Amino acid sequence: MPVEGNPDNPIEAPAPTPWPMLMALGLTLVFAGLVTNVAVTLVGGVLFISGAVGWFGEVLPVEHREPLRVEAAPAAIVPATIGVDYLHVGELGNRAILPLEIYSYSAGIKGGIAGGIAMAGLAVLQSVVVHHSLWYTANVLAATVLANLANASTATLSSFIPEAFVVALIIHASASILVGLLYGVMLPMFPRYPAFWAAIVAPLLWTGLLWSSLSVINPVLDARIEWRWFILCQIAFGAVAGFVVNQTERVTTMQHLPFAVRTGIEAPGLGGDREGQN
Amino acid sequence: MAGTIDREMGLDAVDDLEQLPILGRLHEWVITVDHKRLGLMYITGGLFFFLVAGLQAATIRLQLAVPNSGIVPPQVFNRLLTMHGTAMVFLVGMPILTGLFNYLVPLMIGARDLAFPRLNAFGFWLWFFGALLLYFSYIGGDGLYGAGSAPDVGWFAYAPLTELPFSRGNSTDYWILSILLTTVGSTATAANIVSSVFCMRCEGMTLTKMPVLVWLATVVSFMILVALPPLSAAQVMLLLDRFLGAHFFDTQAGGSAVLWQHFFWIFGHPEVYILVIPAFAFASEIIPVFSRKVIFGYSVMVAASCAIGFISMSVWAHHMFSVGMTPAGNSFFAASSMLVGVPTGIKIFNWLGTMWRGKLRFKVPMLFSIAFLFQFLVAGLTGIMLAVAPFDWQLTDTYFVVAHFHYVLVGAIVFMIFAAIYYWFPKATGRMLSERLGRWHFWLFVIGFHLTFDTEHFAGMQGMPRRIYTYQPGRGLETLNFVASIGALVQGIAVLIFVINVVRSLRSGEPAGDDPWDAWTLEWSTTSPPPEYNFATLPVVRSRRPLWDLKHPDDPDWRYE
Repeated sequence: MPVEGNPDNPIEAPAPTPWPMLMALGLTLVFAGLVTNVAVTLVGGVLFISGAVGWFGEVLPVEHREPLRVEAAPAAIVPATIGVDYLHVGELGNRAILPLEIYSYSAGIKGGIAGGIAMAGLAVLQSVVVHHSLWYTANVLAATVLANLANASTATLSSFIPEAFVVALIIHASASILVGLLYGVMLPMFPRYPAFWAAIVAPLLWTGLLWSSLSVINPVLDARIEWRWFILCQIAFGAVAGFVVNQTERVTTMQHLPFAVRTGIEAPGLGGDREGQN
Repeated sequence: MAGTIDREMGLDAVDDLEQLPILGRLHEWVITVDHKRLGLMYITGGLFFFLVAGLQAATIRLQLAVPNSGIVPPQVFNRLLTMHGTAMVFLVGMPILTGLFNYLVPLMIGARDLAFPRLNAFGFWLWFFGALLLYFSYIGGDGLYGAGSAPDVGWFAYAPLTELPFSRGNSTDYWILSILLTTVGSTATAANIVSSVFCMRCEGMTLTKMPVLVWLATVVSFMILVALPPLSAAQVMLLLDRFLGAHFFDTQAGGSAVLWQHFFWIFGHPEVYILVIPAFAFASEIIPVFSRKVIFGYSVMVAASCAIGFISMSVWAHHMFSVGMTPAGNSFFAASSMLVGVPTGIKIFNWLGTMWRGKLRFKVPMLFSIAFLFQFLVAGLTGIMLAVAPFDWQLTDTYFVVAHFHYVLVGAIVFMIFAAIYYWFPKATGRMLSERLGRWHFWLFVIGFHLTFDTEHFAGMQGMPRRIYTYQPGRGLETLNFVASIGALVQGIAVLIFVINVVRSLRSGEPAGDDPWDAWTLEWSTTSPPPEYNFATLPVVRSRRPLWDLKHPDDPDWRYE
């Protein structure tokens, strides 16, 4: 990256000019005249046109440029005298491109499905124990989007409603898979005790957030939720999803490799040492 | 400015600007087309209006410090509120960020200037005269000599309330005309930056080797090109309504009562990102240098910024939940608003990833950047809360919203503007800002910021409406408002220290040298301040950190990119 200059060879730059300023002033006066006096607009119009003509003269037929004398070059950048010793992660010295290993996305999806099943099992158990119905919890979940269920009686919510069951299934399945994916991505980021983060901390944080905001967002739904069971369900999901993800073998990230290699393009020299390339 | 200029007389008769009389020096600044000077003019102008709008904010907080206060009458309060909001967005945020991009982008891409230097000057002067026109309304709003008549319609100027029957006099016209001028100026600058980035990069600087700041400047410029024209169109429509009797927003003649809101927020929401993405850009340059690490996830950072720019165009109606849209409309805008949180969250993770296990240097720019990370996270979380339509219905138009957007505009943007000024001041002036005064500025500003805006969240949840000039005692708002006003005072003291620091350092600051932070991007390879031509020989780069390659020839970046 050479930056040295040649003092004998001046550099040309666009010449300073007042015309853009005059044109802007003219346009402003044109506008200002609308709220003051038409004479202001007229003066502005004259300035605007003068500025435009002057500006055109600056660039047509040939742009007006002026030479600048080259000054003393900046001090040369010298190589650092001390070695690079900032980080010792991986093979790349100071460039710690982390994480070095991750779980595959499929592990997250599997974890999400397993966690979702465990959570659904507990939710049905709660429904049976507390409300003597298989369907109560599913119907409450569906009520988050089905407005007609939001104010339904406990008896209605305890009955089987096909539409509500389908909606609850879709919500539960998609949320479980997405959260499972999140677990798959995030678990390698936690340096220690991933099971603790997955099974305890994350569910408690998520529950706390919902608990503190649901009374404002949806008070009717808030009144229907038994929070102790809710926490149990969340912990069950976190523990099972975390366990499944954690059992999966990690794969080395490919982020150190060139894009062409990652996409599988076969060409000579792509994967080798690029030191020789300029 | 270090560049020495020959004009008409040949190279042997060089004018040294420092030796010119003051009028001559002023003339040189007025006629300049140099991107660095124009950048500094934008920044200086923006900082001037920051002080003016800050004083207006202080007066607002003084009025609200105690209940039933009569320091300013209601209409004056409305004018203060309008001018504070308008100035902070159009005369402070936009010009300072534009100015920093103006100054930095050509240097960072190894170019001698922007693609259209004269257009750049035109853009600046349009902004400058537009700003003067807005403040001229204090003398001209009720007629040429009707004193004290600035606009009182809020920075959003909702039509039809801004139609002639409800907003007499010319104050609203001043607002429309001045903002029209400043937005034309911003559009010119955006076109200039896009052209420069795509056509004037130095040899070797492919798109994937551009500094993150340059990428983000490009994203913001595209956003300006898309988002500002709807505002200008709406303003022209309102002018037609007011001057020529058109009926765009006149409901009695078949116009629409919410059309203005749609137009305004189609501009207004991307505008938030137009302001905050430059803050991301500064963080992405400052955090790696002070962490002594490459930025974590360069490509993801860039992709996330592009995604933010794209998604932010489709979220405007979350400002309009209380208008009464259809459930489908509410759901779409709630979902798209929450979606913005995903790329934004990615960026926060990436900054944290950059800092993680780095050798952190807690200089003032880094302190401001760390505070930005925390505050922007909170701003994002309250933003997600407000994206939930039922939550928004209950808290819209309360101080919770005021606190939320000040967390974005001050907690993120102003903090990163300060970080950027501390970081690049040595490059622009050749002198360092005082670290000691900088720390006083930082800590007082942090304390003042949190005293003011943390408490405003609670005032909002207690039911304090926004835009009211006073409130009754006995509603649990006294203490919160008093604490918020004390916070504003502390922020004011912090800004005063910053001004003293700048003035003092300009006169007698420690000489900076060319590369005081041991940084890696091209602007640090030239002198401080840079000569008018930027680089005597245009640089050739081989990686995203060209100065790293020079300083560490045994371990250059280009081996890994």
